[in-house]
Amino acid sequence: MDRYPPQPSRRDVLRGALAAGASAALGAGLVSCGSRSDVARTADAGPWRQFQGATLNLISENTAPTAAIAAHTKPFTDLTGIEVRIVTLELSALVQRVALDLASGRAQYQVIYADPYQVLAPYQRGLVDLRSLQADPNLPDLPGGVGDFIPVQMDAAGRFADPEPFYALPYDAPTMIWQYRRDLFEKYHDRMAGDLGFDPTPGGDRTWEEYFRIARWFNENAASDVRYGTGHQARQHDSLMNDFSNVLWSYGGTYFDNGREVGRLGTRDPGPCRLDSDAAIAGAEFYNRLLSIADPASKTWDWDGVGAAFRAGRLAMCPNWHEFAASNETALPGRVGYAVLPRGPVATANMYGGTGVGISGNTLPHERGAAWLFLVWATSPETQLANLRSEAGGGTPTRTSVYEMPEVRAAERRPSPMPNMLTAAAVRQAWQPDRIGLRPKIPMWNECNTAIFTQLSRMLSGAESPRETMRSIKSRVDRIVARGWVA
Amino acid sequence: MAHAAQSSPVARGSAEQRITARKEPRIGFEGKMMSPGLVLLAALSIVPFLALIAMSFSRVRLLGGVRLDVAGLTNWARFFTDADMWMSWLRTVVYFVLTVGLEMVLGVGIALCLFRVLRGRNILLSLLLLPMFAAPSIVGLLGRYLTDSTFGLYAWVLRSLGYTGDILGSPVSAFAAVVLMDVWEWTPLIALITLAGLSSVPQSVREAAAVDGAGGWMTLRYILFPAISNVLLVALLIRSMDAIRYFDIIWVTTNGGPADATKIVPVRLYETAFRFFDLGYAAAIGLAMLVFSILIARTFVRLLDVRGLTR
Repeated sequence: MDRYPPQPSRRDVLRGALAAGASAALGAGLVSCGSRSDVARTADAGPWRQFQGATLNLISENTAPTAAIAAHTKPFTDLTGIEVRIVTLELSALVQRVALDLASGRAQYQVIYADPYQVLAPYQRGLVDLRSLQADPNLPDLPGGVGDFIPVQMDAAGRFADPEPFYALPYDAPTMIWQYRRDLFEKYHDRMAGDLGFDPTPGGDRTWEEYFRIARWFNENAASDVRYGTGHQARQHDSLMNDFSNVLWSYGGTYFDNGREVGRLGTRDPGPCRLDSDAAIAGAEFYNRLLSIADPASKTWDWDGVGAAFRAGRLAMCPNWHEFAASNETALPGRVGYAVLPRGPVATANMYGGTGVGISGNTLPHERGAAWLFLVWATSPETQLANLRSEAGGGTPTRTSVYEMPEVRAAERRPSPMPNMLTAAAVRQAWQPDRIGLRPKIPMWNECNTAIFTQLSRMLSGAESPRETMRSIKSRVDRIVARGWVA
Repeated sequence: MAHAAQSSPVARGSAEQRITARKEPRIGFEGKMMSPGLVLLAALSIVPFLALIAMSFSRVRLLGGVRLDVAGLTNWARFFTDADMWMSWLRTVVYFVLTVGLEMVLGVGIALCLFRVLRGRNILLSLLLLPMFAAPSIVGLLGRYLTDSTFGLYAWVLRSLGYTGDILGSPVSAFAAVVLMDVWEWTPLIALITLAGLSSVPQSVREAAAVDGAGGWMTLRYILFPAISNVLLVALLIRSMDAIRYFDIIWVTTNGGPADATKIVPVRLYETAFRFFDLGYAAAIGLAMLVFSILIARTFVRLLDVRGLTR
């Protein structure tokens, strides 16, 4: 008999450790995957109470509508018996969590704030086609049907590539409009009109060139009231692409051929980038010129930054999302006016940044039903009206019927209990199909967007001319598109 | 002869040693005790590392569970031909040299000043260490707040001195700002380590130098620096490893801009992995960063080894 039993070698131990580590990781994964169970359904409890006891997780960008929803989930819980937990994050963090959640094969977040460009387009296959739930006789129908949503928003926020299926319901509708100090425009109106030779009152008849001249006039003549005529969200960020795109489209430039369709429905193969066109270069040249007289801090601001500067009384005007109206009215009550953005030589465009709310494709059948209840409730006219009244924030409705309610109509004038509705006249114009600005809805948009705002930032810093910038964006975007998208 | 050799005490002793050596377990008690740790290490480090290598040769699909499609050398070819990536590496090196260099110079300088302070040194040291206790993202937010041109204190001071630009709005000043934010946060660490090193220099040696007529510079050059050089090397190693993976402050303050002026490799890696979800290419960048980190670490460890400090 051997006194020393065979001992494992060092290599054996390392090999064993590696195998055990892999097994532990795999085992943990399998255990966690295997532990999923669907929520219970009580068939005879009625359409709204059938999933009582369930818990839903909503992941959303930290936007005003979600703040309002988060403050008022009790009516939903009372109606359905379903608890709703809401996680709000900055958009890029949200996209990250959603992608990882979809990759996990589970549905940690059953209800997803589906940004059309960063979630819907790249991960459309991970979202539920909501037609299946709308057609389910056991589930409540959408009040007013899909047709009650503003059509262009339904397409932009809810659909991708195919006009039939819809993966999200329009949930918020921020749109870029011209925000200006009404008090200052009134104070200087006659002097400005005399000096500039045109009526400076903001509106859809003004041109970007006139906007430029008004801004410069404020710089030179109203230093006691504001430091700069205009400010922009021109940080190396998504905001810079938004701000620039308004000018680009107005000058006739476009990101891809058939730009309106690529923006409205989206596509997986947009073809070659068209930013090297003369119109696009002219737009870039104007934007560069405009930023040269804007507040220099514009290059450090995103939408929040320019909004804060405007509210601080630093700027006479700026293009920004219309949902900033509520905070404008708090800081500068009655002193801010709203109009559609100026037109360019070819067209007029107001960037739309709306988002839908959808359901993760990893949900189990009953979970999916419970999530549908939440979607129906969260986008219902009653909830949208409650959000408008909410002191926690609240965006603007995405349903036509809400805009037609008498109390909402009345709120379009001061004093308004729903300050965001002060922008209604402007956004109603902005949402016309020929005025709405829709960026390309393509799966690889996130990377294209980064290339666009990075190169624009180089242009604004003087490192590249507008022509070089447009050409370098084109070559980058073409490379990204050629690589395709794998999800 | 053979019999004589086997029967001699010396030969018998060496034969027994050989038998004992052969039969002694190669993984002893210590090895067995380490096994759980090794298993954990394998689960947390080795498996992900191997996965990272596999991903760098693949296109990674996310929907419906993670899957790898073989992509050959595509990601690596892209890595070596990506001009933007090389610019990021250049920025990373400049950033690395500036932050670590400034932190070392300032940290040593502050430690030498503190070393001379006898009364109130502890209070001064406590105040000095405060920045180090803030999370880097908080430092970034604080920096953004202080440099904001609407209400920032530093912006106001610079404006009153005649600076008309925006600190985070132009490439050079933004780069300088993020470097200084990092320097502000981590110089105290160097000062603390250096001060510990200085405190270990025997009083008698310094007194002997003073008696021999050595001035301040001579004492510094020939007594203090040689005595604390090993400690400084360790401090340099710690900060270098940190500086290579610097991310938080840049992400919070400039997002890599303006004009990519602050987009160093970790920022680009994050962007590629978690904004574009191009995980295959991100794996290639991550592995390259790992190699870079190992090279830097090996350089310092070798220096320490030469001085016999790793044993």
